[in-house]
Amino acid sequence: MRASVIRVAGLACAVCYGAFIVWLYGQQPRTISQITGKIRAEVGAYRIDDAAFAEGRRFFGTDQFAEARIAFARADPARQDATVQFYVAYSYYREGWGRLYHDDRLYRAGLEALDAAEALSPNHGVRVDDPTLQMATSTELRAELDRGIAKDASDLNPLKVFRTRK
Amino acid sequence: MRASELDAMRDEAPGREAFALPILFLTVALLGGLRFAADGSGFRFVPPPVISLVLAMLLVSVLVRGRRLVPQRLMGSHRTALQNLSGAVVLGTLVGASAQVFNSIAPDAGLLHLIVNTFLLVLLWNTLAAGPRAGRLLHSLLVLLGSAFVLKFIVLAALYAPDGGWTKRFVTTVLEGVTLGTLDYEPQAPLAGYIAFGLLLLYVIGLVLLPGDPPTFPSGEVRRLEAGGSDADRLESPVP
Repeated sequence: MRASVIRVAGLACAVCYGAFIVWLYGQQPRTISQITGKIRAEVGAYRIDDAAFAEGRRFFGTDQFAEARIAFARADPARQDATVQFYVAYSYYREGWGRLYHDDRLYRAGLEALDAAEALSPNHGVRVDDPTLQMATSTELRAELDRGIAKDASDLNPLKVFRTRK
Repeated sequence: MRASELDAMRDEAPGREAFALPILFLTVALLGGLRFAADGSGFRFVPPPVISLVLAMLLVSVLVRGRRLVPQRLMGSHRTALQNLSGAVVLGTLVGASAQVFNSIAPDAGLLHLIVNTFLLVLLWNTLAAGPRAGRLLHSLLVLLGSAFVLKFIVLAALYAPDGGWTKRFVTTVLEGVTLGTLDYEPQAPLAGYIAFGLLLLYVIGLVLLPGDPPTFPSGEVRRLEAGGSDADRLESPVP
């Protein structure tokens, strides 16, 4: 009887531990805070730091994008909030935007953040009601980032210097 | 089969089979894919490539061939359903841990990944063909895993250390040039070596704890036991 109890307990432990390992490899966290944040998000206990988010938006509004992203990382250390990740992607777009050419590296980072934002959204689309943003949805932002990375004949159009940043 | 029947009757060491071995092997499986970026930008989990799974299956075959692992002592008709389930978990976690050990000790990409995995494959195949007994087999596996560990976490880590001097830079540049840039080695943080050493240690402890062949006895001892000794007495008096 005692041996059976030990075996059942051992099986339960092994299944839980194995599921945790599979979950870790599936989620691919990069830091310990991401692991704890993801676990808290799974049980519905994850909250972003509102003060840090507000600070990030303030930096974002004044074109201090590196500072904004540091504040956003503090607000959402586990990268579990779609809205914060949308702002991170938008900051890469605005920083990478140029009248003559766009910075592909920053645009790719923006797409990566946008992927994370969309993955967190239940319908795989993010909408942010912020009047200071000209693109309110992840679809518009993605299209703009994709257009920036693409290499085509329109890159040679001299009229593109008159385009404005969104 | 007498030993396995005896296990079934006495349900020998359920704690080892249900707790120690699965937890050990799962820990190895968890740590085997852990990679630390040399620039300290965090870690990532790398699932085992297909070649690691092939090597793992080969290694398990070697363990069975060398009687370091006797599957009948983990699963069989003489055991209850719960015991069989427990045994299946041990076998499954052993395969997973073996795959992750190879994932850990072989370089992740490039020409070195190909060369090291090919050597491991050939050496394991050779070990399988030679069919060494349990003691020698463990020794042989220690040499195999240990040398791959030394190559990756001592030799290559020293060569590709970010704070390396001019000589190291010269050697690595020459190596990259000779191989037309196919070496493609990605250095890791020093912590990775300590973790890999720990996981190898855990894995070897797991192999030692596996239910293998019972100890052998001189024929005189067997005759004496057959005349009056019990099975339990027989198991407790191995040959020195």
